[in-house]
Amino acid sequence: MYKFTLISVVWKILFSLFFCVFSISSSAQSNDGGQLNGSFQASANFFIRDSLIGAANTPQYDRQKYGAEAWLNLNYNNWGFDFGLRYDLFNNSNLLNPTDSYTAQGIGAWFIRKQIDRLGLQVGYIYDQIGSGIIFRAFEERPLLIDNALVGARLTYDISENWQVKAFTGRQKQQFDTYDPILKGGSIEGFLLLGDSTSRWSLAPGLGITNRTLDDASMNSLVATLNTYSERDTFTPKYNTYAFSLYNTLSAGPLSWYIEAAYKTEDNLNDPFGRFQRDSSVVIGDKYFLAPGSVLYSSLSYAASGFGVSLEAKRTENFSFRIRPQAQLNRGLVGFLPPMTRVNTYRLTARYNAATQELGEWAWQLDARYTTKNRKWSFYLNRSYIDDLQGEKLYREWYSEVVYKHKRLWTFTAGLQRQIYNQERYEVKPGVPLLQTTTPYVDFLYKFTRRKSLRLEFQTMLVGNDAAVDSRQDYGNWFFGLMELSLAPRWVFAVSDMYNFSPGRNSPELDGEKKGLHYPRLDVYYTQKANRFSLSYIKQVEGVVCTGGICRLEPAFSGLRFTLTTIF
Amino acid sequence: MKPYVFFGLCFVLGLAACEEIPPLVIPAGEDGNTVETPVSEQKRQVLLEEFSGVRCVNCPAGSDAIQVLLGIYGPQLVPVNIHAGFFAEPYPESRYDFQIQAGYGILEYLGQPLGFPTAVINRKQFPGEDNLQLTQRAWAGSIADELLEPPKVKIDIIREFSQEDRALQLEVDLYVEEKLSFEDVRLSVFITESNIADFQLTPEGKVGNYQQKHVLREVITDFKGEPLTSPLAIGQKLRKSYRMSIPELWKSENCSIVAFVHLNGENKEVLQAHRVDLE
Repeated sequence: MYKFTLISVVWKILFSLFFCVFSISSSAQSNDGGQLNGSFQASANFFIRDSLIGAANTPQYDRQKYGAEAWLNLNYNNWGFDFGLRYDLFNNSNLLNPTDSYTAQGIGAWFIRKQIDRLGLQVGYIYDQIGSGIIFRAFEERPLLIDNALVGARLTYDISENWQVKAFTGRQKQQFDTYDPILKGGSIEGFLLLGDSTSRWSLAPGLGITNRTLDDASMNSLVATLNTYSERDTFTPKYNTYAFSLYNTLSAGPLSWYIEAAYKTEDNLNDPFGRFQRDSSVVIGDKYFLAPGSVLYSSLSYAASGFGVSLEAKRTENFSFRIRPQAQLNRGLVGFLPPMTRVNTYRLTARYNAATQELGEWAWQLDARYTTKNRKWSFYLNRSYIDDLQGEKLYREWYSEVVYKHKRLWTFTAGLQRQIYNQERYEVKPGVPLLQTTTPYVDFLYKFTRRKSLRLEFQTMLVGNDAAVDSRQDYGNWFFGLMELSLAPRWVFAVSDMYNFSPGRNSPELDGEKKGLHYPRLDVYYTQKANRFSLSYIKQVEGVVCTGGICRLEPAFSGLRFTLTTIF
Repeated sequence: MKPYVFFGLCFVLGLAACEEIPPLVIPAGEDGNTVETPVSEQKRQVLLEEFSGVRCVNCPAGSDAIQVLLGIYGPQLVPVNIHAGFFAEPYPESRYDFQIQAGYGILEYLGQPLGFPTAVINRKQFPGEDNLQLTQRAWAGSIADELLEPPKVKIDIIREFSQEDRALQLEVDLYVEEKLSFEDVRLSVFITESNIADFQLTPEGKVGNYQQKHVLREVITDFKGEPLTSPLAIGQKLRKSYRMSIPELWKSENCSIVAFVHLNGENKEVLQAHRVDLE
């Protein structure tokens, strides 16, 4: 009852505030130059059941048939204030949980910001981070419906021209509610030019701290679970966890070196592969433990005319930083661990992704690009390497690409990707060997005129054998072909098919036989100034979908999808 | 005072406040109370509906956790293991198919989980959770929370089972302890079976003699429960009778009868649950 009343009051205040803002904005615009802008994004899915590919047994396929999401963002600034408001809508949406249906709507975020001389203040829903985000990152990723805004207050103070301190406190957003634990923290960041004003050497150091205090309900729940443990496995949990981070960027002409070291005091963590001794047997599953954590992350990059190279490395140990220990998968993330793999864009090269391992990971990545002086040829190389801290192989990727541009008439791209992917760890599939893939691809773009072009894409993924079942690994071999016609600036038409031409152990079965299925897709995009519409017919195989190193298993999709994005 | 000094002082003072008084943790003993109590002394009893599947690699850990919780809470915990969802399809070599239509009905009625193992406790949404489905990490806390309340209804199950024709006669008596001013109160009655050896995926691979426990075999009422239309005033006693035949395939000595009183609609909370052995 209290919550209901509070929400009603907040709504009334917000609407009153915006009514006042809009009602005076016409005169304000002429007098003070107030400005209103915004954006709108919507998607609607029409679900067509296809039990053969696994697009079935969810409320949307069984009876709802339709799901939609929409976000309307409004920003208004005037009189030295910034106002923001976001309206979120979910109708039978499968974004929050791909196998369930979520319906809710309301104010998803709002803020009021003001700069008073050197002091900046903001209240409401805050998106921010410290350093690279390892100890604190409040962010939004709509494809996975991650929205970790801090609902609270933030102060900044400019100590000098190049130094700023920041402090914040609040609770983490949970859809249209908040989690109960309290988050607070701060940072000091600066910029130092080494030498005189013409110097090419500079430093950008920073120091940050974040503290999370558990609420009583979360602690009681944790204690109740620990009370089920034997004396050997139990521990005294912590209400407060502190995370510290020291970071710096050194720039020296074309060279840039970022380093960040983070440490987290003892925290109540969960090991999904924890071991419980039961008489003579061992049970493996969720198990809480208490441990401090650390992350060491560094990236070194060099960029000169036509040539760029970067090397990144990261060591993670027990650095799962969640708003409450009961949260799992992509829920309740306080920090963000930078991924150590490239973001693949081609359909088959993006099929297997290495999710960031919070409890232990040693990873590095090398990225190099070279373009010839006449800009006709480009060469690209990437190498990713991830092990756990016990030396178990988790992920390897070798990626190479060559691009040739012939005048402005056509562009030819060819590449090869090789992967080793620990499916047992990333997708919890016991007893499967390391998945090995080899994926060559070509991409040909031909411009008939300045406005009319045709793009063709062909990829094939060849996987290794699974000797235990005398079959190809996972879904077996794939072929993907795409044809895309662009009639700029308005129309784009695309047709593609992903074909499981040599099925593997996990491919769907029909009448006791593995079937090689087609997964076709048709897309039409229409752009009218700032408005972009798309309509697609999609059959999509199940897979792991990742955004910035955070992944989740997505079931197969079958149906129609409409999207709209616009800015104003 | 220079700003640097001021902010430095704030930082040092903040660190000085890091001491905390820890909560009290009492590690589990070997066994809890499993003795059945008479209905007059019945305490709050909590329903745990675990959703599982023979292809769910993590579910054996969930089932193990439930056995540990049973050791602690005894008859105050009423477990039901429902094989429904993405991992429930039996293997070609499986001896049994634990899926039943009512199990899928219950899963759809309560909502799909984000991952497995998963359970719904007293059909209640707890703070910090997305829906009714709880991951294993939250089970113990939610059960402990629910046990704090006294029962609004007490349940007695009187059964008569004939080995000859395998007929089961059930009388479920409800004793109303508190005024129930809810619009739609219902009674659900299930049959579960334990110690069924069959194939199950585990972190060590597929195991052929895994002992499935508390498997939902039959929903005697409608899967959404039977509406209790009589007035439910304090002190009221209500009797519901059921009759069914137990299939030969089920080992009656391993079967249990589960009855629970719950709400229907937006709020589906369970008011009280009770379990007795079939024999």
